[in-house]
Amino acid sequence: MSLLIVDEITKEYDGVRALDRISLEVEKGTIKGLMGPNGAGKSTLFHLISGMEKPDSGKIYFKGKEITSLEPNEISALGVGRTFQTVQTLGNMTVVENIMTGMHLRLKGGLISSGLWLPWIERMEKEALKEAKEILDRLGLLGRWKSPASQLPLGKQKLLEIGRAFAMKPELILLDEPASGLTPTEVEQLSERICQLKKDGITLVVVEHHMGMVMEIADEVVVLDHGKLIAEGPPDVVRGDSKVVEAYMKGSPR
Amino acid sequence: MQTKKEFRKRDFFYLLPLWLLSLIVPDADDLYSYRSKEFKRRELYYLGAVLLLPLIWSDPHFHHLMVLAGIYAILALGLSLFLGYAGQISLGHAAFFGIGAYTTAILTTHYAFPTFLAFWASATTAATAAFLIGKPILKLKGYFLALATLGFAEIFLVIVRETQTLTGGVIGIFGIPWFSIAGFSFDTYLKQYYLTWGVLLGLFLFSKNLVRSKLGRASLAVAASEDAAKSVGIDVAQIKIKVFVMSAAFAGFAGSLFACIMSTANPEAFSLGFSTLIVMMVILGGMGNLYGPIFGSILLTYLMDILGRYQEWSLPIYGVILILLLIFFPDGIGTRVGIRLIYLIGYWAKKKKRDEGKL
Repeated sequence: MSLLIVDEITKEYDGVRALDRISLEVEKGTIKGLMGPNGAGKSTLFHLISGMEKPDSGKIYFKGKEITSLEPNEISALGVGRTFQTVQTLGNMTVVENIMTGMHLRLKGGLISSGLWLPWIERMEKEALKEAKEILDRLGLLGRWKSPASQLPLGKQKLLEIGRAFAMKPELILLDEPASGLTPTEVEQLSERICQLKKDGITLVVVEHHMGMVMEIADEVVVLDHGKLIAEGPPDVVRGDSKVVEAYMKGSPR
Repeated sequence: MQTKKEFRKRDFFYLLPLWLLSLIVPDADDLYSYRSKEFKRRELYYLGAVLLLPLIWSDPHFHHLMVLAGIYAILALGLSLFLGYAGQISLGHAAFFGIGAYTTAILTTHYAFPTFLAFWASATTAATAAFLIGKPILKLKGYFLALATLGFAEIFLVIVRETQTLTGGVIGIFGIPWFSIAGFSFDTYLKQYYLTWGVLLGLFLFSKNLVRSKLGRASLAVAASEDAAKSVGIDVAQIKIKVFVMSAAFAGFAGSLFACIMSTANPEAFSLGFSTLIVMMVILGGMGNLYGPIFGSILLTYLMDILGRYQEWSLPIYGVILILLLIFFPDGIGTRVGIRLIYLIGYWAKKKKRDEGKL
C-alpha cells in the first residue's frame, strides 16, 4: 500500500479552481517530483497535505489513516515533515537549537520538570544536543552550530530547514521549492543531501520549478497545470510529453 | 579631512567605562550563552551586588524601592516569558497580579491562612484564572489579543469593586500580616528585600532552565513562525497556554508578596496604567533576555520615584524619557547596551569633529 494517497482532491479560492480532482499516490522510499508552471496549484496541494488548509472535497490518507481534517501539528506528529517555499528557519534561535526544535515530539519534559532541570532532563538534553550535532555534521553546518540561524546564507538556511524536518524522524518529507534562490553549486549540494535522505529510507515529495534538479533526483514526476494533473510517470517519459512542453512554454515568458 | 591614527588621551575616557560595562553587560550576539547552563563571571557580580548592596547602602527608602523593584521584576520576568519568548502580547497582567494579591489578602485576613500557604495559593489561583481565560482568548493574535487581555483586566477591576463583602470594594482590604515562614516574620525593609530578591532569584533560575528546555525552544518557535512550529509537531495553542499560565503564576507570586509587604490590597493598584507599566518594563529592559525585565523594573521604579517630586510635571517628563530611551535603545537597555553606547559615543565624538571641521 502506498504511503501517501491523495484522492480526488478539489480546492477553490473565490471560484477559482486551484486544484481540480487531483489524485496521486506516493510509494514508500521513493522521491516524487511535483512540477508545473506558476499558479499550477503545487503549493496549494502541499498546504492541503500538511493540513495548513482544508480541501473542499476529496480525501488524503497517510499510512492508511485519513488525515484530511487533522490539524497541521497532528499531521506532523504522524510523521510528515515539511519545508516552506519562503524559508522559515527560526531566526531567534541558534542553528543547533533549530535542529533541536525539530526533535520536540521525541523529547520529554513538562513545565515543572524542565524548570527545575531534573537530572533526567539534563541527560536527555545532552543526548539531544549530540544527535543534533550529528545531523548538522551530515548537512555540513556543524562549523556554525552556535551562530544565530538568521545569519546563515539562504542556501544554508534551506539545508537547516531540511535538517529540522529530518530531526523529527519522519517517514515523509515535503520539500516546497528547495532550490529556489540557490546558486547552481548549492543546488548540486542540495540534490546530494536529498538523495542521502532517500537512502535513509525517507520518502520525499519535492515541489520544484527547477526542472533539471527534479528530473535528476525524482523516481516519478507529476506535472500540474491550472489545477489539473496533465502528466504522470518517470522523468524521461514526462520530459517528452507534448502537454508538458506546451504548459511550460506558454506558462513562462522566459 | 584629518584623521589621527594615534591614541588620544580622550580615548581613555571612553575606554574605561566601556571596559567596566563589558564586565557587567550581557553580549547581545552570543545567543547561545543566554540559553546555556554555565554561569558567567558577570552573573556572579550581579548576584554579589544584589546580596551586598542593601548592607552597604542602608537607607530604608532605598530598601523599600528595591523591594518594589524586586516585586515588579518578578512580574516583568513572568511577562517577558510570554511577551519576549512566546511573542504574544498581554495587557492584562495587572489583573493576575491583583488576583494574587487579593487571594493572599482574603485568605490571610478572612480565613487566617499562614502567609506561606497563601503565597502558593495565590500563584495557583492566578494560574487557574489564566488557564480559564487563556483557553478562549489565546486563539487571538496581535492587537486582538492585546484588547482581549485588556478587557479581562477591566472586568477583574469591576468584579473587585462590586463584590464588597469579599474584597472590600473600592476601599480594599487592610491589615494583611507580614510574610512569615515558620515563625520568622519579614517585618523590616531589609528582610523584605532579601525575601523578594530571593523569590526573584528562584524564579529567575526556574525561567533560565525553562528557556533552554524543550518548552523554551517551542515557545521561541511559536514567536518566530507558527507555521514552522506546527510543521515539527508543536501544538501551538498548548504552548501558548502553558507559557501564559506560567507567567500568570509569576504574577500571582508577585501579587502575594505585594499584599504582604504593603499590608493592603485595593483596586487602584491594579489598574490599566499598571499593566502598561509592566509591559514598558519588559520592552525597555529588552525582550528575549531574562535580565532585561529586571533592569527595566529597577530603572522604572527609580524613575517614578524621582519624578514623584515634580508633582504634575512628572507624567510629561516620564513620557519624554521613555520616548528618548526607546529611540536610543530600541532593543531595550538590557540588550546590546555595549554596542549602543559605543555607537552613541562614536556618534557624539564624530559630531563634535564635524562641527569643528565646519568652523
